[in-house]
Parts: sequence; structure tokens; C-alpha cells
Amino acid sequence: MSDPRVARLAELAVSYSLGLKPGQVVRVDAPPVAAPLAVEIYRAALAAGAHPYVDLELERLPELLLAEGSDEQLDFVSPIARAELEELDALVTVWAESNTRALTHADPDRHRRLLAARQELSKLRWARISGGELAWLGVLFPTEAHAQDAEMSLAAYERFVYRACHVEEPGDPVAHWQGLSRELSARADALARARELRIVGPGTDLRVGIEGRRWNAADGRSNMPDGEVFTSPLETATEGEVSFAFPALFHGREVAGIRLRFEDGAVVESEAAQGREYLDALLAMDAGARHLGEVAFGLNYEVDRFTQNTLFDEKIGGTMHVALGAGFADLGGRNESALHWDLVCDLRADGEVFADGELVWRAGRFLEQLEPAVERA
Amino acid sequence: MPERLRRLAEVIVGYCGAVEQGDLVVLHGSMNTEPLIEQLYAATLRAGGRPATRVLPELSELLLTEGSEEQVAWLAPGEREDVEQADVWIVVEAPANTKALTGVDPERQALNQRARSPLRERYLERARRGELRWVLTGFPTNAAAQDAEMSLAEYEDFLYGAALLDAGDPVARWRELSADLRRIVEFLSAREELRFVAEGTDLTFAVGGRTWIPADGHENFPDGEVFTAPLEESAEGEITFTFPAVFEGRRVEDVRLRFRAGEVVEATAMRGEAFLQEMLAVDDGARRVGELAFGLNDAVRVFTRNILFDEKIGGTMHLALGSAYPECGGTNRSALHWDLICDLRSGGEVYADGELVYRDGRFLAL
Repeated sequence: MSDPRVARLAELAVSYSLGLKPGQVVRVDAPPVAAPLAVEIYRAALAAGAHPYVDLELERLPELLLAEGSDEQLDFVSPIARAELEELDALVTVWAESNTRALTHADPDRHRRLLAARQELSKLRWARISGGELAWLGVLFPTEAHAQDAEMSLAAYERFVYRACHVEEPGDPVAHWQGLSRELSARADALARARELRIVGPGTDLRVGIEGRRWNAADGRSNMPDGEVFTSPLETATEGEVSFAFPALFHGREVAGIRLRFEDGAVVESEAAQGREYLDALLAMDAGARHLGEVAFGLNYEVDRFTQNTLFDEKIGGTMHVALGAGFADLGGRNESALHWDLVCDLRADGEVFADGELVWRAGRFLEQLEPAVERA
Repeated sequence: MPERLRRLAEVIVGYCGAVEQGDLVVLHGSMNTEPLIEQLYAATLRAGGRPATRVLPELSELLLTEGSEEQVAWLAPGEREDVEQADVWIVVEAPANTKALTGVDPERQALNQRARSPLRERYLERARRGELRWVLTGFPTNAAAQDAEMSLAEYEDFLYGAALLDAGDPVARWRELSADLRRIVEFLSAREELRFVAEGTDLTFAVGGRTWIPADGHENFPDGEVFTAPLEESAEGEITFTFPAVFEGRRVEDVRLRFRAGEVVEATAMRGEAFLQEMLAVDDGARRVGELAFGLNDAVRVFTRNILFDEKIGGTMHLALGSAYPECGGTNRSALHWDLICDLRSGGEVYADGELVYRDGRFLAL
């Protein structure tokens, strides 16, 4: 018996997030553990008249490549993958892991080398996405491993995930996401008029320059679940210090108790209670890794707890996050890096945000409602 | 049995695919081949190759029942790229259910196969030019074990045994088998006529001038046969096939064929005779023999209803009704290529130009 929530999520992905049209070519990348969702997306895409296909990515291959591959093999990018990417109209990345810590003991230098090589494809992908030629959706399929990281049973975690996507109950998830989309767009327009944000919270007093940058309303078209507004800050105008309440994960490695100090946009001091060495390795990845590529407000209030998964954590209603590394060219960002690492700052208890000196946010909420709040089922 | 799986992967990558430094190696399989694909990936890395994977869930039934005609006939961009760019292409078969497509409309299946045939033609063409090496192999599943009437553990033993993994260095054993097959090919190439005699069988073919090919594990794995295309108008006499003949999931038992001037003039079967007659009527070429072969893998002893293995059973011969391999010099053309197997292990004899050269499943002089 298949899970009707999986079918509803697939339908939402195909009709709302990607808006697939007849004849469009869509590839679904998923690990085998997420095959149930991949198959449902395939089915929904067939029904939409598209040409879907599925590429199952075996989870242990990166570990094997890091353990057994030569430098030349780590650097290799398949010409097949490159050519294929050019022909896609839409791409779905299904995130699902059987073990989120499988790469904890991989050699960090080799891992960095592998990620740097893969950047060629991800650059090509982002170029096509920002050029409007490729629709992309990243969506999570709940597994025991993610439930374990969230310290929940699989059944409870599934409810958490499907609620955050608004497919837990039968209903009209598309209407929900359309409403949220209008609300987030109004917020993005308002933020685009500000020159500077000052974020104040426990261990945090950070000024981020944003003048002239566009804000994006993340409304479930590129990520599911979704619910944030974000931009790329000015590369040389971040000043002050910031503490991250939640541990930060990057490719299965945990760094906890991170504090960063910025001068002229670059990290000049860094410390971590756990995983300091890995933090330093990531900051040293390339010149862009020490600069911010993103600053954002998390606005999905169904996501109400930390689950050790960036896709959800960065959307926790009432948080802010910044990302070290690559910025978004389509929002005016110019920072380039193989890194894009989101770090989440909890502002729900006593955080404050000032826009050009004016208090706009307190304790996890914007003070001014720009539109009547949409009903949240 | 991870150790056996690792050895299997080493043989497939090192011997069958002969992967070299820098080769782009496409590993193709269904979801339940994951353990073998992982090992093939690691073995390819160790050989200096560049592995790419193409692993798919079982979607054929969904596509064939819910897709439009246009969708059923569509080829994914990656499939064309694989065929164009791979240096080595390794396909692992592992059905979850060998009868999953039984209820699918055969016309839609045919539409899908027609759409895919340019891919097949293209990889065969690149293989002929020496630009691509391909290997078709199997990974043990309960479905395959069930067809073979074995437990999964028994079937694994069978498959790894057939791959010659059980004693000594498997690559050395495949090289030895390859040398044996080449000796048999040399021996048969000098002969004009072969006569097969067994219970219910007395059948003669002319093979003079045709090319015999040793199948020594470079395109199928496990492997072990020598085959040719007999002269199209030469088959005379009758043959009784001791094993059930399986074609696309349909089974025909106790097939007896009588040939005159190369053509089937009488065909009977205890079970499935109507299907047999239907297949013989597919086209003109379906009534003629496109392939004649000796199964020579002595580690394959039992019938498992999988033609990849059955046709290699040591001590058997098989012929295929329908299309011939042009590389053997054969000219018969047909949409059909149906392998039928005859056990020669107890009392079977083969005469070459009148001389007894093979008895009870073995060549006498080799």
C-alpha cells in the first residue's frame, strides 16, 4: 500500500513547483531509499504529458570514490553528465540518506577536491536555472536516518515533513503555497528597499550591507518544503560577530558552537566548540569561502524545531541564517566559491533585527504584517 | 557473500570489460543490483577507469500502462549519451519479478522495443568498430532463483560457480577456458559438415566457409560457447529439444522440428505448440537456422530458464531459429532469434565430415 502523502507531494512537485508542461524532459535524481517518491514523481510527470526519467544515485559511491579514487578520478567530470544536463527542462533532486554520517571520516582534503570538481556541473546547472532554461526542485524524502538526526521516530518525522510541505492531510496544498508565495513576495519587495540589516541576539551583533540587492521569495518552487526570503549581501560590507545556536552540518560532519567575526566582509576570527579543524578547512577551501553568499529569514512556522537538516533548519519560522561561500548571481551576488554552507541563528527568544536603524523584527516575527496572514492549515 | 561479489566484479571489470586507464565505464542496472554495481564501481576505480552509473527503479510497467504512445517511444537523453560516449558498457540484469510485464499490451511493448532498437544498433556498431566493449551479466535475485527452482542461496552458488569464481584465480581460469574454446573453433573451422545424433535427433548441417566464434566472457558473463551460422539451406533431418524453450516469458515443451533443405517442414510440441507455430510464422527467416552452437561451460550443469546461462550448459548444443550473426557469415534475416537447447550429455554424438568427434557431451580429441 503506497503512502497517499507521497503521491500528494509528487503531484505538488510536478504541478506547482515545476509546473511541468507536455513534452518537457524531466530527470529525477534520487538515492534508492527514496525510490517510492521518485516513482510517484515519475507517475505524476507522465500524467502531465512530460518525458520523465529517473537516475538512482547509489549512496555508497562517494565513499568508495574518496577511499579508492586517484586524484585524477576525483577530478573527473563525466561528459555524459554534462551533455545530459543541457537537454533537461526540469530536474528534481530528492534528498534522502540512509546514514547522514557516512562521510564523517573521509579525508577532508580529498573531499574538498571532489566537491571542487563537481562545481563544474553545479555551475552549469545554476547558469541554466538562473537563465530560466531549467526548473529545479530539491525535495526531501523522510528516512530513518533523517528521523534519527531529528531525534524522532520515522512515523513522527514523516508527519513533521509532510506537514511542513502541507501534504499531511488531503486538501489543496497548491492553494496554500500560492498564498504563502504572495506573502513572501511582498516581504521580499519591502526588504529590497533597505540598505543595511543589523542582527542582534545572544552572542550576535552583525551588520550586513544589502543595498541594491534583490530578495528572493522562496515559495516552494525550488525547495519543498520551503518558506524563507533571502538575498546575497554585499561582499565587503559585513561587520561584527555572530553566534550560531544550532550545530551546523556539512556533508555529514557536525560543527557545533560556531562563532565568527567579520571585518570588511571577510571572516577574520572563527571558533567552534566542536569540529574546529573542519570549520577551518572549509573556510580555507577558496577565497570566497570566507565571505557571505546569503542572508535570509526563515518563515515556515510549521517547521518549529531543529532537526539537523539545513533544508528544514534554515526555514524554521523565527530564525535567520547566513551562508558562507557562493552567492546568487541572479540576486546581484558576486561571491564565488565551491562552498555554500548555511548557518542558522535562532532569534525566536530574544532576537532583534533593525533595517536601516529601524526595529523590524522581534522574537522571531516581523512587526509589520504586509498582507493579511494567510490561513495556515 | 561480499568477497565473492568483489571477485565477480574484478573479473567483469578486469577480464570481460578489460577496463584500462582512463576508460569511461557506464554501469547499468536496476535498483536491486546495488551491491554488484558498488563493487563494479570500486573495481573500475582500481583499474584506473572512470565509472558512471545508470541505475533505475522498475518503471517499465508504469510507462507501458500509463504512458502515451509518444512517451512509450521516447528515449532519455542520457541513454543516447551512454551509447555514444562509453568506452565500456556493463549491463547487470536482476529482475525483481520475471513475469512483471505479462499483463502488458504486447503492441505497446513492441512500440517501446522498436524505439529502443537504434540504441542497440548503435552500440553493436561501435562494438564492431572496436570503440566500445560491452558486457551483459546477471545478479542473483529471488525472481531468477524462483525460475531456476532454487533457493536464493543455491542460485548464488550456481551463478558464482558458472562465473568460475570457486577455485583459484578466476581470470586465469577464464583465460584457460578461452584457450580451449579457440582450439575447438580451430578444429571446427576446418570441417564442412556436422551431424548431431541423439535420442529423437539426427540432424545434419553444412558449415564449410562459415566463421566460428569463441564466446569466452567478453560480451556475456558467465559465458562459454562456440557458435556459427550454418549454411541457410543445409539443415536436413530432425531434432528433439530436451529442455523447455522459453521465449519472452512463454514456455514451449518437448519441441521437435524436422528440416528439409534448411527449412522447418514439421514442428510439434507437447505444450505451447500454438505459440511455436506462431513464432515460426513471424517471417520467412523464422523457419531457418540462424545460429548453431556448442555449450561449453562445465560449471553450468542445470537448466535455469535464463537463456544467458542455459545456452552455455557444458555438453549441450543449441540452435537458434531466425536471425544470424553477420560476423559468422550468416545471411538469414528475421525478427526472431530463438535459442533452443538439446542435451547431448547422455548418448549424444557429433560427427564431423563423417568422423565421430564428440560423445556424451565432450569433444573426443580436444
